[in-house]
Parts: sequence; structure tokens; C-alpha cells
Amino acid sequence: MKPVPLVLLITSVLLTTHVPLSTCRPRDLNLINNQLDDVLLNRAGDDAMSYLLLYLQRNLGAQKAADVLHLQHFSTPQLRSDNSLEELTEFSKRNDDPPISIDLTFHLLRNMIEMARIENQREQAELNRKYLDEVGK
Amino acid sequence: MSGTSRVQLCFLLLSVTALRGHARFLGIQDNEISPEGLLSLLSSELKRELPEEFVYRRALRCLDMVAVEGQFTFTAERPQLNCAVFFIGEPSDIISIEYNSVNIDCRGGDFIKVFDGWVMKGEKFPSTQDHPLPLYERYSDYCETGVTRPIVRSSQNVAMLFFRLHQSGSSFTVTFRKLINPFPCNVVSQTPEGSFTMIIPQQHRNCSFSIIYPVEIQIGELSLGQHNDLKRSILGCAGSGDFVELLGGNGMDTSKMFPMADLCYSFNGPAQMKVGCDNTVVRMVSSGKFVNRVSFQYRLLGHQELQQMKGNSVEDVCLRA
Repeated sequence: MKPVPLVLLITSVLLTTHVPLSTCRPRDLNLINNQLDDVLLNRAGDDAMSYLLLYLQRNLGAQKAADVLHLQHFSTPQLRSDNSLEELTEFSKRNDDPPISIDLTFHLLRNMIEMARIENQREQAELNRKYLDEVGK
Repeated sequence: MSGTSRVQLCFLLLSVTALRGHARFLGIQDNEISPEGLLSLLSSELKRELPEEFVYRRALRCLDMVAVEGQFTFTAERPQLNCAVFFIGEPSDIISIEYNSVNIDCRGGDFIKVFDGWVMKGEKFPSTQDHPLPLYERYSDYCETGVTRPIVRSSQNVAMLFFRLHQSGSSFTVTFRKLINPFPCNVVSQTPEGSFTMIIPQQHRNCSFSIIYPVEIQIGELSLGQHNDLKRSILGCAGSGDFVELLGGNGMDTSKMFPMADLCYSFNGPAQMKVGCDNTVVRMVSSGKFVNRVSFQYRLLGHQELQQMKGNSVEDVCLRA
């Protein structure tokens, strides 16, 4: 085969098989996290934990890492051995998005902001005094 | 040049072209909560390093609010399972949190997470519609990325730290800094009184200014687009890509609040409105075609005024006048 047509063939192969960038991106965790968020926020304590464990059980079969959960690898939930359940609990302890809907009222929040502002102003005044002292020397 | 060497050169150039795309992709995949390129030029964390004796230090509490720059240390005297620290700066600041020394047990279930925004009663500010990043990217976990990327930046003047420490004796230290943001979008006001000018320079985004008090808002100037478009006002705000809305509600999430007023066309001269809700928000929606600007002032509504409004109004969810 002549070299020029060979080059053209290789070019076309390279260009057509060039993987589009979008397929290499990690799967959209938004969907999962939204569901998780929903679950954790709307159901009380124990319920949420057991639901989360079940949910993660299904997905951990495919891959251990929290980062990529393959949605299509659903398997029927099985009772796992003690070891992996322990791992699962450890894993989920750290990885559930804290549903800290810190049930803080606006009244409390406003007071906290006010105290923080006072602290800031006091510290700013201190700093200004220190700067002026330095300059005065 | 001979035939074969020309062919080889073409082949080399082709391979280089094919590879170039991947390298570019890796650059975009950086998962850090980071401001746009322009801001990183302007941010000068290194230059603003204060000498040791000028750095403010104090201990952090399990539930805390911080508005002052400095170094904060949390030491667990007993297991602390649900702790949250709120950070807030001036409207034109963004927040930078740097992990200094962290002594926690990641495998034992401890975590420290930074959230880009505030979460209260399950509601997030800024809402998912107003924030440039998807929800999972707004959480930054120390146990996953804290060692490789010790500095986390917020996109607006508020951020939060969530942490859980199981063992007594665990501790961590963070440095909190405030960096300048030339075009603040999404602000929580520290005070019930003040004034602000919000500018969205030809960007397709929505920005909210949240005042967590019942206030009277006076809009001094509104500039939407480059000229007054009379056609637009007939369609109403729904048809327009650029408008300002006044929202009122009792939570932090702007997408769950009630619209009090819509402003679709530019005007000069004050227009005021009283909003008797726990949270009052001025929100600007921008299509990206124009430079939009709104200037407003706000003051706290007194108890008597609120009582008066309650008397006049039928609904008691949120009052308006």
C-alpha cells in the first residue's frame, strides 16, 4: 500500500475513534445525591440509616469507591457477611451528606451573626491599634 | 523533503493533534471549588499573609459563627457527632478555608466537610438554581481531598464546615480568610440595614441577595439591558430574560420563597416595598446579553410596623405592604 493513502486511513481512524470528552466524565452524582439528600432529610434517623445501607449495599457490589456508583448494576439486596456490613457502616458513616438541617431558627442565626460581627469589629480595632503602634515607632 | 519523511512528519503532527484533546480535558476535571480565572489573578492570599503575632486565634465551638479572619482550632473533649460552623464575610468577599493541622480518624467515621453555601433546616443558600456548581461539587470532604487540596474557596460570602469526631482528643485547625470578589453574586447580609449594588456583567446567571430580617426595601435604580424596551413590558416578566424579583419567605432556599414583586424594565427613582418575612431576597435573573445593575437600600421593619401590616393583611404566612 502506498504511504499517502495509509496515512489518510490512519488519520480517519484516529479522528473517528477519538473518544468524545463527555463520556469520560464521572457519572453525574447529582441524581444520587439528590435522592440521598431527600431520604436523609425527610425520614427520621433510624429509617434513613437503614434505607441508606440498603441503597449502598446494592451499589457497592459493583464498586467499592464512593465516587462512581453505576446505576445499572442493581442486584437484589442480599444479606452480606458481618465483615462487609461493618465496612458498609463505616463507609456510610462518613459518606452520608450530613443532614444537618441544624434546626436553627432565624432568631438564633441572627444572634450568632450579631456576636460574630462584634467579634470581628473588636478584632479589627485591635489590628488597627497594632498597626498604628508599629507606624508610631 | 523526501516522500517518506514527509509522511512521517504528517503522522507525527496527527498524533500530536489527537493527544492534545486529552490534555485539555484533564485541566477541566479539576474538582476544586474555585473562582473563575479572573479571580485567581486578583486573589492574593500569599501577599496578605500577616506576621505571626497579628493572626487572630481562638478555639472553635461545636456550633459557631465566624466573621473574623484567623486561625480556629477545634478540640473534641468528648465525641461530637453533629457540629457545624458558619462562616460569613462582607457582601463583596469570598471565603477561603485552609486546613492547617488535622488530627482525626477518617477510617473511624470522622469527617470534616466544607459546604459552599449555608444549609438550614434542609434548605440551601444559594439554591441549586442560583449556584454555578452541582450539589455534590459543593461539598468538599477532608478525608477525600483535604491532603492534596488543603485550600477550599467558596463562590459567595458564606460557607459552612460540618464535622464529626468520635474520639476525645481529636482536633483540627483551619485558617479562615476573606478574599475580594469583584462581582458578588449571592450574598447573605450580615445586617438588617444597609445598601448594595448588584451588577451582573453579561453573564447568564441568577443572583440573590438575602436579608434574613423583615425589611423595607427601597430600589433606587434598576438598569436592565441597554435600553428601555417597551415591547418587553407588555409581555410581562415571564417573557423577559432579564428581570429583578423581590421574594419573601421563612426559609433559606430562594426557590421555595414567594414572589412579592417583579421588575421587568429599567427605571430611576425610588420604589419601595415592605416585606414582613423572616427572609427577604432581591433576586436578579440575567440572560447574559446585557450588563444588568440594581441598587437598593434596606432597613429593619419595627415591631409596630409589623403589627400594622398584620392587621391589614389576610394571609399570615408572610406579610407584604
